[in-house]
Parts: sequence; structure tokens; C-alpha cells
Amino acid sequence: MRRQDAGWWLLILPAFLLMTAFYIAPIAQVLAISFTEPSPGLGNYERLFTSESVQRVIVTTLRICTITTALALLLGYVLAYRIALANEAARRWWILAVLVPLWISVLVRAFAWVTLLRRQGLVNNALMETGLITEPLQLVWNEFGIIVGMVHYMVPYAVLPLLASMREIDPRLLAAARGLGAPRFTIFRRIFLPLSLPGLIAAGVLVFIFSLGFYITPAILGGGKTLMVAEWIGLQILDLIRWGLGTMMATVLVVAILATLAVFSRVVDLKRVFGTGA
Amino acid sequence: MSGTGHALALRGLTKRYGSFTAVDSVSLKVERGEFLTLLGPSGSGKTTILMCIAGFVAPTEGAVLLDGADITPLPPERRDFGMVFQGYALFPHMTVAENVAFPLRVRKLGAAEREAKVKAALDLVQLGRFADRLPRQLSGGQQQRVALARALVFDPALLLLDEPLSALDKKLRAELQEELKALHRRVGRTFVNVTHDQEEALSLSDRVAILNHGKLVQEGPPAHLYEHPRTRFVADFLGKSNFLHGTVQESVPEGFVIGAGTTRIVQSVAENRRPAHGSPVLLSLRPEKIALLNEDDAADNVVTGRIAAWSYLGAGYTLVVETPDLGALRVALPTWQAPIAPGEGLPVRLGWSSTASVPVVEDVA
Amino acid sequence: MDHAHRPGGWTVAAAWMVAIYLVLPISIVIPVSLTDQRFLSLPQEALSLRHYATVLGSEAWLGSIWQSFLIAVAATVIAVVAGTLCAIGCWRLSRRSTELVRAMMLLPIIIPSIVYAVGLYRYFAKIDLLDRFLGVAIAHGVTGIPYVVITVSTALAAFDPRLEQAARGMGASLSQTLRWVILPRIAPGIVSGAIFAFIHSWDELVIVLFIASRDVFTLPRRIWDGINENLDPAMAAVAVLLVVFTLGLLLLDLALRKRRDA
Repeated sequence: MRRQDAGWWLLILPAFLLMTAFYIAPIAQVLAISFTEPSPGLGNYERLFTSESVQRVIVTTLRICTITTALALLLGYVLAYRIALANEAARRWWILAVLVPLWISVLVRAFAWVTLLRRQGLVNNALMETGLITEPLQLVWNEFGIIVGMVHYMVPYAVLPLLASMREIDPRLLAAARGLGAPRFTIFRRIFLPLSLPGLIAAGVLVFIFSLGFYITPAILGGGKTLMVAEWIGLQILDLIRWGLGTMMATVLVVAILATLAVFSRVVDLKRVFGTGA
Repeated sequence: MSGTGHALALRGLTKRYGSFTAVDSVSLKVERGEFLTLLGPSGSGKTTILMCIAGFVAPTEGAVLLDGADITPLPPERRDFGMVFQGYALFPHMTVAENVAFPLRVRKLGAAEREAKVKAALDLVQLGRFADRLPRQLSGGQQQRVALARALVFDPALLLLDEPLSALDKKLRAELQEELKALHRRVGRTFVNVTHDQEEALSLSDRVAILNHGKLVQEGPPAHLYEHPRTRFVADFLGKSNFLHGTVQESVPEGFVIGAGTTRIVQSVAENRRPAHGSPVLLSLRPEKIALLNEDDAADNVVTGRIAAWSYLGAGYTLVVETPDLGALRVALPTWQAPIAPGEGLPVRLGWSSTASVPVVEDVA
Repeated sequence: MDHAHRPGGWTVAAAWMVAIYLVLPISIVIPVSLTDQRFLSLPQEALSLRHYATVLGSEAWLGSIWQSFLIAVAATVIAVVAGTLCAIGCWRLSRRSTELVRAMMLLPIIIPSIVYAVGLYRYFAKIDLLDRFLGVAIAHGVTGIPYVVITVSTALAAFDPRLEQAARGMGASLSQTLRWVILPRIAPGIVSGAIFAFIHSWDELVIVLFIASRDVFTLPRRIWDGINENLDPAMAAVAVLLVVFTLGLLLLDLALRKRRDA
């Protein structure tokens, strides 16, 4: 049978070669540089324990990612719950409200938030005109701005796995619970919520790992003052030419993401996110 | 579209998946133009054998021979066998005509020849009018006939059928059985069919091979298998059967006598197949071979019992008669032969001739 | 389903709030792009198309749009060809080793672009692909493969493997089976994958920031510079054009899916 399979293996070959030569190889190089520059050894990794600035970036990143994940899950759950229980016609519009932001350029979205939130932005102007405030609020170029933008980006990624798991819940179970006299909140808390838990975990993992390596939104909405890991790496490589330190952080980032995925490998199915599109 | 067909042979065919043996050393011959059915319960290995013949599964050991030539290493696309898949596997994006033309297109036949052959094949299965429909616009029976036309259009050496009728309802199945049989006679090719439906196997085939747990249990013409099952499994799987346990007590001119409790049963067998005195024997007795006797009727074997359960089937009755020594016996009677309306608890006399039952062996699991 | 479980009033209100949070900020760029002022603001006295005129009359913007388009087309071709064949091979062989291959194909959406971009910066310098059309097309093509693999795999999951067997059994070679049986059946999945791969390249910025500088100056790169240097309403006009374009592609995908499901 092996000989007959040869043709099918050949189909895999182009993608495999492309991936190895132009994806795996450059990334493997990143990992390697972190051990060899500026001098061979674990010197770069020592910084994880000794450098206050390295630690500050990591702590900031973890804090922002945790808050982002929590908020994206909360908002995503509300939306997914509404969509899961909507009728067929309404569901299509709700899903569109999720899919459209998902595929709109991250740059456009960051730009839109800047337009809204900056000092002379639409939000500040509106608040000043109505007399609610006299001084413009500092809504962007800080952690608040980053989180607003990141949650906005991540909600669709939370909704899709949540929705996939909610739609597997047999609606007859909910009808049965109601028939047995359970009030709406009890049905939600005792039946719907536990059954949607796998989706909640999957969504949480997905949003968290996507947030960890986020570059554009924090760079634009953080205004260079609040640094997250990805922007910090860029800074080390492009401006400070400190390859060893930059690639060390890149390695830590990859390891953290792959480790998180490995731990939750059974509940996170990437296919669900992109496959159940409509 | 008629031809002589080809002869197929399996020699020691074995397929193992890890430690599980799906097919265990099956040797079998299919003559030219014969309709052979592989019959067995699910998991008996019949489909695996068919897939080995088709070339989709490579046997672990053994060989598949076509007219004496070993074709085991050939991939399916080089075997030139027609196949009707379970569920038909019609290409949903092609019309009926395009489906039937597919094997010809693959063989790079000219357009004119292709059209003529497709038309002939569709006429053969009486679907000429449906050439431009899509498969999903056809009924189950029509789809099945398209699959047949597609499998026959390129004059294959052999036609393989994988549960061809299982997706149809009962009435349609009976109708298409007739058609399939007539088609086989018309095209005169070698057909190998797989089914778990014993009725289908009996009515369609020239010869049936019965499989169980990957082993070939018995093969032969349908009537022979039905009348002379060799093992308990065959007797039970082909139709229904009562089984009588006993030990050999004495020899008589036509055969031997076994005892079960106080009941003596005469069994006739050929001279050379008589079991030793005192050995345990298992007899298979078909329900329709048992007669309901009046007070004064005589028979080779007579037992009395009471009706424990009965059901009316239109054309006949099925009775379950509880007897003291032989346990529950199932009896099938045509309605006109039932002398009385059956009722539970009614005492009855049952009788059968010494040639009605056959000795069978227990299957080794 | 009259007695089905329905969300309560508060939940519905909250869901609306979330939907507004998702959609409103994106739509706000539309009125801003139509402003009659010279700075980022809502229109004051009249609607004006002057900022669209600025963008569409600018050689720099048009050059970037054209370049982004060409790169996205090239990247899509790479991703679709490699991704589709790979997904089909993995589907048909379907064993542990192909599961690993499939997992490998998903890496580009798991590993942050910044890590890849940094690696590629160094890697392309050695083989002279920095700031070259080919380099960016390859980078975008490779990172677009996962989208194609996912959509094609989803399409294949609904494909009856017996159709492939039937074709082979009737004498079709592998390439005939591919062309006549498999590809026509999964075409909608391939188109979806192509659309996603195209959008991916069209919007991609992080990689471009590292491996391109002067000769290759894509649309996202120009927007990035615009946001960081001068926030003028022309940016909003560009943003609207981008949104309209992406929306068009998405609606095309939805329409195709609907036709496939019908």
C-alpha cells in the first residue's frame, strides 16, 4: 500500500518544503540567536531574573493580557449567548456583527480608536460640549487605551469558540428544565453555563495567547509609553540592535504560548474558530 | 455489452490490522459468468475481502488471481473492475450521463464512442430519460441503477457490488433483486456481491460463500447451503432453525437414532458419515419441515407438547411449542395446513421425517 | 419553538451594547472621512469628498494600493496551491504523521508575527530577499497557508471518501481524481481559503515593518506611517476604502457559502 500512497505524500510536499524553508527555519534561527549573541551561553536568559526592565515588560504584558482576556470573555459570552438563542434569521445578522470586525484591518480599528479617544477626539469633544467635563480625559496613549483596543480586537475570537460549544447544547435540555419548573436564571446557571464551559476555556486560552504577542494595537494605542512584549522585542531589534535580548524574549514568548496550548490542547480547536465562520 | 466474464480466485487471503485478524486465510474460486455472494454478519470480513479484490485494501498474506494471473500488487485504477459502492458513491456534481461517462473519460475514449456507450448503458438499466438529471434528483432505486450502469459501461472484467440494495426499503429491494438477477443474465459477466441479507443472497446468487469471524465457513449453491448446512452458524444464519441435542444410541438401516431424555429421534445419513455410538450429536431442523399431526397420523419422529406462543403472519402461522425433552420448538405452518386455530396451552403432536433434519457441527469460535 | 429558552431583557440589552462596541468605532471613520475640515473631526458644515480626492490623486497612495494588491495576489496563489494540496494529502492519508503536518501548517496563526518577523529579518538578509516583492509575497504566502488548510479541511470533512475510491476503482489516476472529482467538490472551501489568505496579506503589517523599507511600501505600511506622523482625514478615507474592500470580500464569501449550503 505504501507505493500507492506516494502520490498523496507528494501533494503534501510543496507546503511542507515552503513551511520548513521559509517559516520554521527563520523561527529556529530566532531561538538559536538567543543562545549565541552577544556571547554563547544563557546570558540573555539571566536577564529574566536580574533586569528590572525585562521583568517590568513581562508583568505589564501579563497584566494587560489577563484583563483583556477577562473582559473579552465576559463581552463575548453575552454576545454568544444571545446569538446561540436567536432564531435563524436574527442569528445571521448577529454573526455578521462579529465577523465583520474580525476581518477588518487591525490598523483601521486602531486608527478608529485613536480618532475617538485622543485629546481632541470625538469622545472628549462630545463630553466637553455637553459640559460633563471641562478638561479632556486621558483616554489613549496609556494602558486604558490599549485595553479598549485589544478587547475590541479579541471579542470576535472569544465569540466563535463560545458559539461553537453553545450550539452543541441540545435545546431540548433547556426546554426540559423549563418544563420541570426551573426559572430562567437557574436554567442558565445549572445547565447552560456548565455545558458551555469547554467553549469558555477554549475561548480564554485562544484570547490569552493571541494577546500575548500583540503588536500593532498596543504600539498605536499605547503611544510608546506602555510597552508590551512584542513592541519591546521590536524595539530591541530595530532601534537598539540588541539581538540577543530581543530573540530571548521572542523565545520566551513562543515557549509560553506553546506551553499554554499544550496544557489545554484537548479543549482548544483552532479549526472551530475559522471553520465555523458563518 | 455481453461477454464471457473472467474467473477470479482468492488464495489464502489474510488481512490483519495489528493483532486483529479481519480475514483469515480465505481461499475461494469464482467461475466465469458466475454470481457469487459473500454473506456474513457485520464484522465477518466480507467487505474487507471485497476491498482486497477491488484493490483498495492490500492483503497481509495471500493472493488475488484473475484468470490465473496474480493481480495482488495492482492498484485499483489498473484492475478494470466495475464496482457498485455501498450508498452508490455517485458524483453529486455530475449529471447521470456524466457519471456514467466518467470511466470512459478516464480511459480517453472519443466523444462519439463515449456517447454511444453511455446511451447503451443507460438503456440497459432503463434510465435513458434521466441522462441530464443530477443524482440527488433521482429516487434511491434510480440512483442504484445509475451506479450499476456506471460500473458496467466500460466492460469491466468483473463487477463488484458492496451491499448494493441495503439503502433501499424492503419492497423496492425485492423489485431490484429481480432486476439485478436479470441484468446478470443479460450481460453474462462475473459478479461478486457482498451482503448481510440472507434472503438477498439466496435469491440472487449462483453460489454463496458464508463468512464468520473472517473465516470462510461454507460455500455452495443457495439451495445446497439451506438444505445441508455444515455448521450450526450456517443453519442459524441462513433462515431459521431448531437445534436438537442428543447422543447416538443405536444404528438403524437409514442412519442412526439419538436420545434426548425419553425421546428417540431417527436421523438418516449417508453410510460413510455415521457418528460413533455414544457420541454427542447436534441436529438442525427447519421450522417449516415440522408438521402438525392428527391423533392417528404417523411419522418417523413424533413428539408432543403445548403451544407456548403463536403469531399469525398472513400466509402462515409460527408456533412455539414447548416439549418436555427437546425444549421449545419453532414450527412454521402454511395457513391452510393448520387444522385448528392455535391457542396458548393447546396440546399438539408434532412430526417430521428422518430426512428433514441434518446433523451439524458446533462452530469453533 | 415558541417555548424555547430565550435570553432575558437585560441579556439582550447587554448583547446590543457589545455589538455596538464592536461595530460603532469602525463605522465612525465613515463620517470622519467625509469631513469638510482639514483635521480629524466630524463634518461641520457640509459633507466633502476632498479627502478621497487627495488619496485617489496621490501617486504614493495609489502605488501602495497597487503594490499591496499584487503582493496579496501572489501570496494567495502560493497559499492556495500549497495549502489545498497539503490539506487533500493529509485528509486522504489521515494518520498520526499527517496530523503533525497539519498542526505544523497552523503554526503561523499561533506564533506571534513579531517572532516570525524578527527571524525573517535576519534570514532574508542572508539570501537577499529584504525589501523585495518576492520576499514579502513568500512571507505572506507561507503565513496564509493555515487559512487555506483550515477551510479546505473543513470542506473535505463533508466529502464522501467513497467518491474518491469510486473514481480510482473506475480507473482514474490520482491527477484525474483530483481534477474531476475532489477539486470541483471542495471548490467553495478553496475560494473561502483564498479570500482569507488574500485579506491576511492585504492587511499584514508586522512582517512588512521588518522585511521591507523603501522599494516595497505596502498600503498598511503607509497607513502606519500616516497614523504615527500626521493624523489627517485622508487616513480616514483610506480606512473607509479598506473597510469597503474587506467587507466586499466577506460578503462574497458569505454568498458563496450560502450557495454551497443550498
